[in-house]
Amino acid sequence: MTDGQRNISLPVLPLKNTVLFPHLVLPLVVGRPSSLAAVEAALKSEDKTLVLVAQKDPSVDDPQPDGLYTVGTQAVIKKMDRAEGQVQLVVQGAQRLELVSVALEDGLLRAQVRPIPDPQDTGPEVEALQRLVLEQATKIHALVQPQTPISVEQFLSQFSDPLHQVYLLGSMLSLDLEKEQALLEAATRVTALRLMHEYLTHEVQVLELRQEIANEARTEMSREQREYLLRQQMQAIQQELGEQSPEQAEAAELRRRFEEADLPESVRKEAARDLTRLERMPPAAPDYQLTRTYLELVLELPWSKSTEDILDLARARQVLDEDHYGLKEIKERILEHLAVLKLNPKAKAPILCFVGPPGVGKTSLGKSIGRALGRTFERISLGGLHDESELRGHRRTYIGAMPGRIIQAIRRAGVNNPLLMLDEVDKLGQGFHGDPAAALLEVLDPAQNFEFRDNYLNMAFDLSRVFFVTTANTLDTIPRPLLDRMELLRLAGYTGEEKFEIARRYLIPRQLSEAGLTAEQLNITDVAVEQVIARYTREAGVRQLERALGRLTRKVAVRFAEGQSAAVTVEPDDLKELLGPEKFFPEAARAKLPPGVSTGLAWTETGGEVLYVEALLLPDGKGLTLTGQLGEVMRESAQAAHSYVWSRAGELDVAESKFKDFGLHVHVPAGAVPKDGPSAGVAMVTALVSLYTGLPVRRDTAMTGEITLSGLVLPVGGIKEKVLGARRAGVSRIILPKQNEQDLAEVPAEARGELEFVFAQRVDDAWAAAIPQLAERLAEAEAA
Amino acid sequence: MRDSSSRRTPSWFLPASQAFHQAGFSPPVDIYRLARGWLLKFDLAGVRPQDVEVVIRGCHVTVRGVRRDWMIEEGVASYSMEIAYNSFARTIDLPCDVDVAEVQTEFRDGMLLVRLELQRSDA
Repeated sequence: MTDGQRNISLPVLPLKNTVLFPHLVLPLVVGRPSSLAAVEAALKSEDKTLVLVAQKDPSVDDPQPDGLYTVGTQAVIKKMDRAEGQVQLVVQGAQRLELVSVALEDGLLRAQVRPIPDPQDTGPEVEALQRLVLEQATKIHALVQPQTPISVEQFLSQFSDPLHQVYLLGSMLSLDLEKEQALLEAATRVTALRLMHEYLTHEVQVLELRQEIANEARTEMSREQREYLLRQQMQAIQQELGEQSPEQAEAAELRRRFEEADLPESVRKEAARDLTRLERMPPAAPDYQLTRTYLELVLELPWSKSTEDILDLARARQVLDEDHYGLKEIKERILEHLAVLKLNPKAKAPILCFVGPPGVGKTSLGKSIGRALGRTFERISLGGLHDESELRGHRRTYIGAMPGRIIQAIRRAGVNNPLLMLDEVDKLGQGFHGDPAAALLEVLDPAQNFEFRDNYLNMAFDLSRVFFVTTANTLDTIPRPLLDRMELLRLAGYTGEEKFEIARRYLIPRQLSEAGLTAEQLNITDVAVEQVIARYTREAGVRQLERALGRLTRKVAVRFAEGQSAAVTVEPDDLKELLGPEKFFPEAARAKLPPGVSTGLAWTETGGEVLYVEALLLPDGKGLTLTGQLGEVMRESAQAAHSYVWSRAGELDVAESKFKDFGLHVHVPAGAVPKDGPSAGVAMVTALVSLYTGLPVRRDTAMTGEITLSGLVLPVGGIKEKVLGARRAGVSRIILPKQNEQDLAEVPAEARGELEFVFAQRVDDAWAAAIPQLAERLAEAEAA
Repeated sequence: MRDSSSRRTPSWFLPASQAFHQAGFSPPVDIYRLARGWLLKFDLAGVRPQDVEVVIRGCHVTVRGVRRDWMIEEGVASYSMEIAYNSFARTIDLPCDVDVAEVQTEFRDGMLLVRLELQRSDA
């Protein structure tokens, strides 16, 4: 019971984000302690009345009196129930109240309130606004719930007072708190109706916009559906007409090839699955192209297609001889393998490794073997390859995945038993993506490679019938396990005679044809060719030689192009004009060697070389100085030589003081090239003996061999290269370790015939042979 | 949900029955026909007689008042509430061929009985 004029005190329940309009019902859940206290206080009253008022800031949990609006609603609790510490209420608004003052008492807010009577203003404006509001509300109703049977007019008719109708609408719209509060505070009907009209108009606009957007989306959707339907129809029509889309034709072609292909059972099963998948796949699917490419690879691979080997030894020998001059030993080894294959066709093809300096014909030898055997030749260059997946492929899940180089080469070859040349196997890189050398291990192991699994292909492919040939310039960088699997064949380099023959038989005809000249137009005399070999090139192979001959023929070609018609004969004297000044001089440059200098022999990747060991005594110096980029082993070898010569000082008739009072400097030119290895030991000892005795070393004599502190001469490697290198350098006499005598068999006979060899067992033999005056002196001493 | 109120979901146009026409509740009523008049029985349990007002205007009978909860003694706390309190009002429209001559009201067992003696208008 309220008395309209007197202030009364009521508990206050603050509302978050909403207001309660008079006459309307609101379900609430109350949890905040102060709110609970207010509800309890109201329940304790006879009339269950309290004030509901919105708090200004909805985020505040414990609102203070000044955080509340001053206009609220008197409300009666209609129902109450408790659950889990919260109180569920149904409250009904009674009338608007002005909160005269609010205070916190006993943990709850209490307000002195004064009722605000409902405004009673009437007139045409109220009526007009009322109709407008009804109009807009009807619009909204039509936009939101077009199919509800009840009309807005009927719905609003439950209230006769226009203000109450506004309250009803206000509770339906999801308005901001500020707008709701403004509606509640409206002092006249006109104000309330105007506000409501404004809100409704805004709402209509938003809803219309929403509908527009939804409609757009709908039309977009139906366009796509239309296209889809049309496509379906097109397909149906095509089928009816017996036509095929390009994609279907593609799939059908694959299917045809698949049926015809001669595939192993396991591969057929696997491929059939992929093919079925492809046929069901729409061509636009991202997997379509991937699957197609994959299937093409599978179908193209020569699973069971191979060539018949031609195992005719006479023919093979003829082919090898046609393509390559010399290289007798290599050819013999190759023929041996062919013979084995002939006698035992099931024998595993050997894995050959050609080792030798550049330009000696390793790659072309591989081609020749292929030709001799009648096998398809394919080449993979491994130089600089540093990713395992380059060899073994990427998994199909990667974008842009491809099979590895091995499988690609097999596909190119088109047969499963080609001759596969793995070039530059010594130049395999090491990356962080796995070790390619390790992948090669599997490829080159006959025990594993009959089921080589490429990551992309993901099926086992039999590589066991492939004839592998690898090439390398040096063995040092090839991993041991890999080296282990290969049969090494060394190509040491060519002698001048061999080069001459190669030039005559292959290089000159090739260069002539490349320059567009005939043999009649250009004749290079034998002497001129020898001069080009000796004075313009210095190499183990024949690449420089071929380039020089190429330059020569081009220069001559220019003359013919300019109108000359007479044939040209190139004499040695013409070379300066055609090739420029001579680049190399015969090594006899050192006409006479001073005491303390000896000629050593070195092995390099490009063949044998001559190098000099120079020693010098330093008055007032101390110790041993070594220069010339010498490696650890070579330095030790020099120290051993020094120590040994010192120990023999008496026999050599050298004053002890020479060792004690003088420093020793040993230098090995050329100073910029790193050198290492024990094989210069003999040359060092000889140089030192020559230095201390003051007797010069024979200049036509070169030497090689490792020494021990007890004076033994140990064998060294690379004898063939060293001998050929010495011969190129114009040396006529070579001192070799006794144990290397049998290696001379490798050296071509014509070279052997020109050279004189001395075999040393002990260091004494070496210096006796190298220093004639010392030999005489020692002989005299012995005689005496 | 630690919230004083849950915000109304924007559901438009509830069924009319759910909206209340006026503040307060309206008590149920039984109407009896008498030989010479009407008997109205209002369910007003718990309402004190002095809190009820009966107004008869023409042929409209209005009963209104307040139901107060008198269980508000010390040591008693409301745990759940379903009975409606506070103001109520109910208006009954009777056939308008009569004039009311005499009205008697009586409270019996929580029911308000309103007896209307009619007088024939032709009298």
